[in-house]
Amino acid sequence: METSERLPLEHQSLFRKRQSFSNWFKSGDPWIWLTATSVGTSIIAVLGLIGLIAVKGLAHFWPSDVVSLSFESEIGIQDIAGEIVQKERVSLDQYKESSLRPVDPDLQSIERWMIKSGNRKVHAPDFRWIYFHEIQTQENLKDMIVFERLEWGNAYGTILEIRELGEVVSTDNLWHDLRSRIKRVKELRHEAKLIQNGAIDRINYQLEKLRLEQRRRELRGNLNVSDIEEERTQLTAEYSNYEAELETVYTQLKRDEVVIQVSGNRESVIPFSNIVRAWQPNSMSWFGKFGHYCSSIWSFLTEGSREANTEGGVFPALFGTVLMVLLMSVLVTPFGVVAALYLREYARQGVFVKLIRIAVNNLAGVPSIVYGVFGLGFFVYLVGGTIDDIFFQAAQPAPTFGTPGLIWASLTLALLTVPVVIVSTEEGLTRIPKALREGSLALGATKAETLFKVVLPMASPSILTGVILAIARAAGEVAPLMLVGVVKLAPTLPIDGNFPFLHLDRKFMHLGFHIYDVGFQSPNVDAARPLVFATALLLVIIIIVLNLTAITLRNRLEARYREAMQ
Amino acid sequence: MTEQTHQKLPPQARARSFVDQFTKNIVRTGGIAVIGAIVLIMGYFVWVVVPMFLPSSVSVSRSHESENTLIDVLNVSSDDRFEILSYVRANGTIEFRNAATFEVVETQIIIDKRMVVVKPLYPLADAFVGRTIDDELVFFRVTHEVRFDQEVRRVENQLQVLYDESMISIEESLDFDVYRSADKMRVASIRPGGHILVQEYSDIDDYFELEKPRELEIDSWGRNEANIELIFGPRGRWIYEIDQTTGDYRLLNVASIRRHSMEQEGTFDITDGSFALIHPVLGRYSFLVADDQGILNHWILGPVGETQGLTNIRTFRYDEPIVEVVAEHRRKGFFAIDATGQGHLGYTTSARKLAQVPLGIVPHLVAFSPRADRIIAIHEDQVDVFKVSNQHPEISWSTLWGRVWYEGYEKPVYSWQSSSADTDFEPKFSLAPLLFGSIKAACYAMLVATPLAIMGAIYTAVFMAPSMRKIIKPGIEIMAALPTVILGFLAGLWLAPIIEENLTAVMLLIIIPPVGVWVFAYCTTLLPNRITARFEGWFGALTVPVIILLAYLTLANDEFLSNLIFGMDARIWFYEKAGIEYDQRNALIIGIAMGMAVIPTIFSISEDAIYGVPQHLVHGSLALGATRWQTLVRVVLLTASPGIFSAVMIGMGRAVGETMIVLMATGNTPIMDFNLFQGMRTFAANIAVEMPESEVGSTHFRILFFTAFVLFAITFVFNTIAEVVRQRLRSRYGNL
Repeated sequence: METSERLPLEHQSLFRKRQSFSNWFKSGDPWIWLTATSVGTSIIAVLGLIGLIAVKGLAHFWPSDVVSLSFESEIGIQDIAGEIVQKERVSLDQYKESSLRPVDPDLQSIERWMIKSGNRKVHAPDFRWIYFHEIQTQENLKDMIVFERLEWGNAYGTILEIRELGEVVSTDNLWHDLRSRIKRVKELRHEAKLIQNGAIDRINYQLEKLRLEQRRRELRGNLNVSDIEEERTQLTAEYSNYEAELETVYTQLKRDEVVIQVSGNRESVIPFSNIVRAWQPNSMSWFGKFGHYCSSIWSFLTEGSREANTEGGVFPALFGTVLMVLLMSVLVTPFGVVAALYLREYARQGVFVKLIRIAVNNLAGVPSIVYGVFGLGFFVYLVGGTIDDIFFQAAQPAPTFGTPGLIWASLTLALLTVPVVIVSTEEGLTRIPKALREGSLALGATKAETLFKVVLPMASPSILTGVILAIARAAGEVAPLMLVGVVKLAPTLPIDGNFPFLHLDRKFMHLGFHIYDVGFQSPNVDAARPLVFATALLLVIIIIVLNLTAITLRNRLEARYREAMQ
Repeated sequence: MTEQTHQKLPPQARARSFVDQFTKNIVRTGGIAVIGAIVLIMGYFVWVVVPMFLPSSVSVSRSHESENTLIDVLNVSSDDRFEILSYVRANGTIEFRNAATFEVVETQIIIDKRMVVVKPLYPLADAFVGRTIDDELVFFRVTHEVRFDQEVRRVENQLQVLYDESMISIEESLDFDVYRSADKMRVASIRPGGHILVQEYSDIDDYFELEKPRELEIDSWGRNEANIELIFGPRGRWIYEIDQTTGDYRLLNVASIRRHSMEQEGTFDITDGSFALIHPVLGRYSFLVADDQGILNHWILGPVGETQGLTNIRTFRYDEPIVEVVAEHRRKGFFAIDATGQGHLGYTTSARKLAQVPLGIVPHLVAFSPRADRIIAIHEDQVDVFKVSNQHPEISWSTLWGRVWYEGYEKPVYSWQSSSADTDFEPKFSLAPLLFGSIKAACYAMLVATPLAIMGAIYTAVFMAPSMRKIIKPGIEIMAALPTVILGFLAGLWLAPIIEENLTAVMLLIIIPPVGVWVFAYCTTLLPNRITARFEGWFGALTVPVIILLAYLTLANDEFLSNLIFGMDARIWFYEKAGIEYDQRNALIIGIAMGMAVIPTIFSISEDAIYGVPQHLVHGSLALGATRWQTLVRVVLLTASPGIFSAVMIGMGRAVGETMIVLMATGNTPIMDFNLFQGMRTFAANIAVEMPESEVGSTHFRILFFTAFVLFAITFVFNTIAEVVRQRLRSRYGNL
């Protein structure tokens, strides 16, 4: 449609000639401006939300400088070193609530800084507000090091000495030595992980299978288990071999430790086995920082989480989300398309089909938690419980499929999103000109041939749009998943090297649930918050990309029909 | 294609025909299966929910004429699975019988003395206290353990006499009661002259002798001590002293063994008849009191004015006087027997008379099995076992939606409190607070979303330049795809503290930006036309910097503004002047956050409706001299109003069922208060919180399903209305 036809109301300009205020008000134009304000507000809300998440999420990875401060406090001059997390101004009243120390009463507001001082176990709180006017000295020490640790969060300090087997190592460049030793433990840790996740997991899995086999025989009344015993002995022997191997790696890991001086002139010993990374932000160049920034993002995406999910990466959650969504789309696509085909191409159009169509439309608006309840009751307890009773008697009373898991989550979300696919596919089917179908039939093609060679290819973009929209919806859903399979910490990924490789019964982690769990259930919210923003950003990016793909496809589809019609 | 032509076809055509038929069948079955699955959802919900409302029943299951008399059986109990019946006989023995065949499995000796009374060792289910003929108390425990010996299952019955067989002496033929907690035991007994002696044994252990007790004496009530009945109250902190001839009672507080206080003195007043009997309900927070006319009153312990006292809260009426009452072991149910031998199953919380069963004769001993799935009645030498089917007695339509007077409460309330650590807890399953919470959350969200979304839709559809519309529409629609968990997280952890700090400024944001934009707009009329003409259709974008600037200025000057308006912090003002407490996570936060989630839905649908209004209507109106605003309000909006209505309906449906935002941005307390600064608990959040811990098949589980079903029904109704309205609108546009 042409612009001139579309906007007759716009044609009289809103920016009219000068007039009295009361005339202007009578013309109704202020109300139009009010509608403009609504749009403006909505735009601000959308951009603001996404911008906020992006800024807070991306800032998390930047290696900020470590400042060393000395400040006055109730117990005299104190030292603190750490990253400045936040700066804000508080009113005098608020200050008086939190501090007993006198302050210039003429001040309107007082600036305070939140310092992340790390060194948990050495300093009591690892986040602390410092009032700006109480700071006496402030410096950025060049050799200040940030240690990212496996446990207890970050540590900040300068190296005093490095010990190997308890003996102080003499070296001219401590920093260099530190880095090479960190590299060494990293390799050792990798080695240990290979043994643990490879051989030992496999043996455990086989042992569990043997136990189930034995139980199965017992249930059948077959008490001959000598072969099982034999195999078990063999596996146990193998197990202890690997365990010994693992033990040597662990001993190696524990060899070195570093002594650092932390603020307040105290020493702290960090075993290398506890160090993930170390860097000197104060002496890094901008490029160095950027490199560190990129590698932080990379490890965020590829590593597992630590410290009750408040540190480390989100790889298991990302993996779980993607896998669950993939499974769901494999389930939802055929069913959605077939249902749409039936409704549009095969069913007799009448009141009944109309009712079904309304019902399908309505189902898209049913709250997701309702599907979660259905999934838990029907899939998990009823279907899963029955499967367990029939096929997994040996494992009982521990449930196999009768407990929330990957397959049930995928099925529940497939049910949740099937209306989206049906509606979208139907829309695509209705848009195909009748003449094309009739042309195909007139040329002697059967209905199936018309379907496969004319109708479906033409409808494929809208099918794809539906599937992408379904995926986008599924990726962001959390409420039903909380009931049917998501956990805060899954010990293993649903895919591993043990047959049948894809374990549909396992529980999994999910980005959305990760946000809920870390943001609201973790004991140290201050420490976890940047990570939650980063996770949220990742999820938003995934979903926006999926949606934009859907929108682009829809636009292409419209263009394509225009050609077909002409 | 008919069958005949099919026969004549050449092979290739037959293959094609086969594929055609095959596809047809596959699509049909698949399509019907998917549609069937959708129907299945509703069917499944009904299947889970319906048992909750099925009637209860009691029926005779087994009867047995015993080979010896049962008149001397003092107590009968059974194990959890109802496999063994245990008779405690007056000769000091315990007899274990097979519950199916009534054959004696084994007999053990508790004490080599005659016993006269046996009662449960309150609040334990498997321990008892017996009174010997010499007025000594003997304590014993009966357990049944399932063992497997070479794959053969058998039940091992164990009798253990407690406290190294030490016994406590009480007075001849006067009443007593015993309370036992994890490490101490209290014995209350009437002494000659009518005073009460409370003995507290501390640091007790089942295997060791009782040590010397600490004692507390309570003055006599001045009544005939032979008529007095003593009952320990909850946690042994209370003693109910009842005169069985008059129905008068004294409520004594003995929380500390050093002193006591009398909390209330009263009468179980009965209008016509006279007091007959009293029996405590599980937990002993309440009693069933019968008179001799067929009335059974439910009295609870709860606040009466300043102190604690007993209140009669509900009445069960029967045709014949009730002569015996027994209570369930794990719920607040009871079984009452009237003088004609008719048994009545009832439940206190829901005030339901559940079922009746004729016993034929009044038995001398009645007991519930631990799971309340059997009732055992003994009369002379006959024992009858009744099968009880009574899954969800605590539920009735009025307990789900109405006010219920619970134990420990001053008045009937709407309350949702599904579980507690205590085993004698009375679950409170009123859905009213949850429904209220859902409506409250949805209302506040709609208050934020509806004006913004509809006005935005009007502007986008009518006034916006097409090139801008192409960006803005999908831009706002993308917000619909934003995971609500992110909105909830931002609302709970980022927005809530900001609003708490800047309450005045945030409230002023409703007024300041629109007024500011008006001032700005009026100023633009003062500018020359050739400048403003360039922004034709884009002036929506012009408002953005104005709003941001104004919002920033407002937020930055919160302290100044709140001092100007309230003279103090707004939160303090609300608390002091209006008595409104401020929760950090409240309805205002929900309104904003859920509003954000609902705006795209309403925006998108109403924009479509407005955009679709036929243009000749607009042209006509303008040609007749109406202003743009008049045309918009009286022609465009009027025509599109059904579409806007359906948009609001769909938005409402979404707001009612939204889970994550509510879960994360409110405190999830089930209160009924429409206050803007307090939280709520909605159906959806309640399901998310409680469903994972709910036991399959329990009343709680079914109620959660029921709430899910209610949510389903609510949104289904909203969406159907919206859909029907929209379809009508579509055909109307077609006609215009």
